[in-house]
Amino acid sequence: MERINRFKFVLWCILGIASAVAITRLIFGLGATTNLTDNTPWGFWIGFDVMGGVALAAGGFVIAAFNYIFGKKKFQPIARAAILTAFLGYLAVVIGLLFDLGLPWNIWHMVIFWNPHSPLFEVGWCVMLYLAVLFLEFMPVILERFPNLNILAKLHHTLNKIRIPLVVLGIMLSTLHQSSLGSLFLTMPYRLHPLWWSPIIPLIFLVSAICLGLMMVIVESMTSSYLYKKEYETHILDKLSKIASFMLLFYMILRFSDIIIRGAAPFLFVSGWGTYLFWFELIVSIFVPLIIFIIPAIRKNTTILYIGAITGVMGIVFNRLNVGGLTHLNNLSGIGTFYFPSWMEISVSLGVVSLAMLLFFYFIENYKVWDNKPIDLDSGHTAVPKFNTNYVYLGTTKVTNRIKFTFAFVFAFGLAFAAISGEKVYGEGFHKTPVTKAKGGDTLVIDGNRDNYGVQFKHKFHSDSLHITCVTCHHLNKPKDKNTQCFECHNDMYLTGDAFRHDWHTSAQGANLDCFKCHKQGNSKGKEYLHNMKSVTDSCTNCHNDLIPANSKTRLLKTYKTVSYSDAMHNLCIGCHDSLIKSDVVLKARKPDLALCSNCHIKSQPYRKDKIIFEGVQKNKWVVLPGRIK
Amino acid sequence: MKAILTDVTKCIGCSECVSACKVINHLPPDKPREWQKNDGLSARNWTSVLNNDKFNVRKQCRHCIEPACVTACPVGALNKSGIGAVVYDSNKCLGCRYCMMACPYGIPRYDWELAVPYIRKCILCYDNLKSGKITQPACTKGCPTGATIYGERNDLLNIARLRIKQEPDKYLDLIYGEKEVGGTNVLYITSKDCSLDFLFYYNNRIEKDVKLLGQPDFNEPYPQLSKFAMNSVPIAFVGMGAVMTGIYWVINRRKKIEKENKGIEDGED
Repeated sequence: MERINRFKFVLWCILGIASAVAITRLIFGLGATTNLTDNTPWGFWIGFDVMGGVALAAGGFVIAAFNYIFGKKKFQPIARAAILTAFLGYLAVVIGLLFDLGLPWNIWHMVIFWNPHSPLFEVGWCVMLYLAVLFLEFMPVILERFPNLNILAKLHHTLNKIRIPLVVLGIMLSTLHQSSLGSLFLTMPYRLHPLWWSPIIPLIFLVSAICLGLMMVIVESMTSSYLYKKEYETHILDKLSKIASFMLLFYMILRFSDIIIRGAAPFLFVSGWGTYLFWFELIVSIFVPLIIFIIPAIRKNTTILYIGAITGVMGIVFNRLNVGGLTHLNNLSGIGTFYFPSWMEISVSLGVVSLAMLLFFYFIENYKVWDNKPIDLDSGHTAVPKFNTNYVYLGTTKVTNRIKFTFAFVFAFGLAFAAISGEKVYGEGFHKTPVTKAKGGDTLVIDGNRDNYGVQFKHKFHSDSLHITCVTCHHLNKPKDKNTQCFECHNDMYLTGDAFRHDWHTSAQGANLDCFKCHKQGNSKGKEYLHNMKSVTDSCTNCHNDLIPANSKTRLLKTYKTVSYSDAMHNLCIGCHDSLIKSDVVLKARKPDLALCSNCHIKSQPYRKDKIIFEGVQKNKWVVLPGRIK
Repeated sequence: MKAILTDVTKCIGCSECVSACKVINHLPPDKPREWQKNDGLSARNWTSVLNNDKFNVRKQCRHCIEPACVTACPVGALNKSGIGAVVYDSNKCLGCRYCMMACPYGIPRYDWELAVPYIRKCILCYDNLKSGKITQPACTKGCPTGATIYGERNDLLNIARLRIKQEPDKYLDLIYGEKEVGGTNVLYITSKDCSLDFLFYYNNRIEKDVKLLGQPDFNEPYPQLSKFAMNSVPIAFVGMGAVMTGIYWVINRRKKIEKENKGIEDGED
């Protein structure tokens, strides 16, 4: 039993990581956890969790159809497991969707607000109904355990009676929503790559879902047999892989004929990210499993059969990812941002899968999903707890496992929380925004009105036409420097900086100054000041005579704190342009208005400061750069 | 139906429309984030002015006559109002972002940084117009040069045609939005050397010169694309049910007969 417990341990770890990310997602939003953008609003959670998940669970309706409708009683032993997989798969889809939806608590809105024209509306309804159908199909397995309770027994009897109508309803619903998931993309003809977008994409989705369902049943059956050390159901697997090979062949013909008839064949052979993705998808989803399944000699080997099935499963899930986000043209052609899922998105998806798997194992161990129950898990439960110097026994195997799993969950949860970068979660305001040297030189983008709209400040034009020297505005130079740029002292866009390096001045390796060289006790305005008070500290200019250029407007230097870059720009502008508005009494009286561009640019009335919306938001000033036409 | 006509040749790029939009919609200041496109639009900027060396183009929601987003929304949170605006009901929205995917112009934006996010886009100042607070959208009112004007769609189309007719050398003989995706309520006329194709997703396509079979026309309304699939849903549903029941009935009957035959044989023995 070690195999299954080791596997469960890993699953609990993944679940722990996923829970930490899920909490972060719910508190801080999608932007903090995903790499989704306005350009690529759908990503891994839609591609894998929803579209992949629904397709993975297709095994339920395929096997149910074979077993109950076509009367192939051969599939009876795996029917219950297939339906359970489908039920848990759909449950995982809904849970995964809850994280992807911006407003998950509104998910029930689809029940009361109807828009029957929307393909997504239809998918939503079908998934809801099918989940209910699958639940009713699986109910008898749970009810079997309580044969003595009268009501439950009656319910069991009724459910068994309506089994065939339920199965038919399940097939009807599955056909609809498997294909409608493809219909979602019909309205995006220029978003999807031409190798994937097709008017018959609903049909392609349905056929590939049936292929995936069959292969998933193989994978699920073999994995659980391996984990519980059970014999492989070889004859069923053989039959399944044979059917799967026919379906795959049909899928391949459908896919290629669609591409050729539409005239998209040239894209098969051009070099490009889209083409590579296409061929990789085709090799993984069709060619490898097809070759393995179609030759009886090869598919008899269980290891190779398993490899083929799992490759095919991953391949068709990869197809859903491609359609769901990876091959969108803005992703491929370099317009806007490139989307690749973040580790947090992937971990939540894996966590949802882990949860479904753990539930699957729970049902296998506790209910009669298989004809034979797995070997008793708690074979060691009669062992007396003992303690010796080499081993610590924590009681029975069951208890030990419980402790192990709890530890795995908690440890992974903590680690994942530690790994989530705070910068991404908190977003703006906490980290510095360094200012770099202005490039271009003759035109700068400044936030003249402090209203977050960038204005192109023609630097060269101003310096030429106003006949002022650089130092009129660029007030200071660093010691022993001739042309200090603004950003060297005002080195943060919004935060106050420090231009004076106290450490350096006092250290032996630096200036090696005595404290009392600058801090002197003395009198000022009739009061006595101590040497540690700022008011009597010597100014920098006492030593650095060349700090302020001779023709600068700044005559006095009192503080070594530098204001933020954006503030500095404005205040210094006022200083420069003060002389221009000296005559205007009204402007001079209202000091805050001095920084307006319109003081000089009288004709351009649009540049007015609007106090209504920008009051109290001075902290997050930013220059919005207008986008450029490419 | 009301509409907006933007004359690219008249725009001076002062961004007053952007400012006015922010004021009337109480939009907080913006900070460029990684999830924003390079076109200035975001959840907090519902219109933006794109500029190259010569021209300034205002980008905003096009308020299509047959909007793809309205068809896409599973709960009907997006609606086409009587005056022509595509409006949004945040109380219905569940945040699936299908509208963002379906829009042929890539307009709707999302509050990615919020824990309770909504879809954000231009609503043609619908609520303010309806309450009678203003008589025309803030952007057209704020425009100092009359580059963007508001009015009845047919009137604006006539104005546009007149301008093109009067100065055929200056204007491109095409009204953007007249027929595109079945017509939009935000129209553009532009100068000869400034094409506005870049506003449309159509321009993103890889196959620049060929049209693949099944791909829609430039002028085809997007909701039409999924109409056939959606219309065949009931047929597929009932058809599948009938086929499955039929197969079950046939197979079950065959088995019964087999059993009976066997029974008769057994009885004879």
